[in-house]
Amino acid sequence: MARLSSPRLLLLLPSTTYRATAFVEAARHLGVDLTVASDFPSAFEREQPSGLLTLDFADPPRAAAQAEAFALEHPFVGVVGVDDDTAVVAAAIAGRLGLRGNPTTAALAARDKHRQREMLAAAGVPVPRFDLAPTDGDPEALSRGIVYPCVLKPLRLSASRGVIRADNPAEFVAAFRRLGAILAQPDVAACGEPARRLLVEQFIPGPEVALEGLLVGGQLQVFALFDKPDPLNGPFFEETIYVTPSRLPDAIQQAIAATAQAAATALGLVEGPVHAELRYNDRGPWLIELAARPIGGRCSAALRFESWDEGGGKREALLEELIVRHALSMDLPGFRREDRASGVMMIPVPGAGVMRQVRGVEEARAVPLVEDVVITAHRGQRLVPLPEGARYPGFIFARGERPEQVETALREAHRRLEFVL
Amino acid sequence: MSGMDVRITAEPIDNDRCKFIVSQPVHGGGVRRFGSVEEAAGSPLAEAIFAIPAAGIVEVIVSGNLVTVVKRSPTPWTAIGKPVGAAIRAALAASAPAVAPREPAASTDDESLYEQVAQLFETKVNPMVARHGGAVELIDVQDGVVMLRLGGGCQGCGMADVTLRQGIEVMLREHAPAVKGLVDVTDHSSGSNPYFASAKK
Repeated sequence: MARLSSPRLLLLLPSTTYRATAFVEAARHLGVDLTVASDFPSAFEREQPSGLLTLDFADPPRAAAQAEAFALEHPFVGVVGVDDDTAVVAAAIAGRLGLRGNPTTAALAARDKHRQREMLAAAGVPVPRFDLAPTDGDPEALSRGIVYPCVLKPLRLSASRGVIRADNPAEFVAAFRRLGAILAQPDVAACGEPARRLLVEQFIPGPEVALEGLLVGGQLQVFALFDKPDPLNGPFFEETIYVTPSRLPDAIQQAIAATAQAAATALGLVEGPVHAELRYNDRGPWLIELAARPIGGRCSAALRFESWDEGGGKREALLEELIVRHALSMDLPGFRREDRASGVMMIPVPGAGVMRQVRGVEEARAVPLVEDVVITAHRGQRLVPLPEGARYPGFIFARGERPEQVETALREAHRRLEFVL
Repeated sequence: MSGMDVRITAEPIDNDRCKFIVSQPVHGGGVRRFGSVEEAAGSPLAEAIFAIPAAGIVEVIVSGNLVTVVKRSPTPWTAIGKPVGAAIRAALAASAPAVAPREPAASTDDESLYEQVAQLFETKVNPMVARHGGAVELIDVQDGVVMLRLGGGCQGCGMADVTLRQGIEVMLREHAPAVKGLVDVTDHSSGSNPYFASAKK
């Protein structure tokens, strides 16, 4: 198990992330020395001071100072954040230590849905009309000045938590109060000012896609475009199936990629992973969200990359490896997504209640093209549906020759699962 | 000593796992893990436990005076404990060893490494993870590869891999350099009280 010293990576992992294993294994695979920084101390931090670190993720400048002090003894050459908050911390650290990364202002703008829309609109990137409302405002009065249908959103929460569509003033008032209650929950209210305001924006009809890519020197390399075949028309916006490659015509895919590039440029993002959600209709692509982080949850497992050397030898990599390579300024020798279609289903929350058991997992795994069924909820966990909830109970993965086959397999596997609450 | 003198205390870890602490050694040859009926062949105790009707036994681990049983059935331990206890008593009362010696393929290097790792777990690793309500159980050492299982707050914890790779593996590298690898055999999906439950992102 002994090995020589290698470039060191500082990996910022929130203690509640799903992403730990994928990133830790990517760093191991590349043979780099790894320091994992988190927001709570590890049980082994005193014993392994070079490998484990606690940083104040809630205060990026302070975290950057802490990281700088750490680097005096354990120099690192790259820093990676895995979610919206740690992307900001990573930017602050990169800026302070002169490492590859985004300007902190850009990472902050990507995290704040309102600031993001202001900057995108100012740069001419197509975004829904939007406005900001205080959570202690009068919803009846506000409802009279809204163009319907609209969507109410929190400024910071991720993965559709708290996102509600309203088609008329009565629905607006109900949605406003419901979102206000979510923003008042202790875990959300802890983020301060962003929890005291909400975003009201125009509902954009049309199919939605997710774009996964990497910025290198300001240029966006698109890794994958996922179709979301289940319509996301509200009133809540639960993500379910992602399938790539997209079945949209090439010209539309190119327009979507161009819009994502324009959005990244407008925000000032220049380095690292990008995850963007866009819609497309007869007026073209619309940027719904763009984040300076990779795809969330376990979904990155749907992506595999390949490259060939001059002798015809194939190299394979996962998304996390490409992100680590980029952060450490290692080469990315022509990696592109595999030719096969691939997809993931974020298993919808089956209802509210305490999870007792999941039946049919083996039957779901037995569906042709299904590669894995991962139940991430644990027995005794309280499942909370959208819009209040924030956790999927698990993920289903499938691969095949064509996207439609993959989608069918995911749906069939899901049908075989039974959650006992 | 007759089987009647044997005292057995059952300590369920969760619905799937239960430790049976026996008042006398059951197996003195290090840890033995049986992951199937086939593997249990030749070891009367493991054969008898796998044969308990409707129990859905999937694993039996025997080490010293400890017998750990893993099942995949909803049958409560209160119902399964009695036949497990009877199997232990019967195996100890018989003239043949309760557990067959380890296959020759398992080298003496593994035996000595096992002792070294067990000592490290007992004196250093477990006191550390206990601060987070966790526990690390050494399952076996085979060909220099350590097999372990995380329990308590470590089971299903979002940071379990960090604990494993950045904590335990690095300590093994320092204190037991002959260790060639580390395999986590924990069923993290059945963790019921993870220290850090994963959120959406």
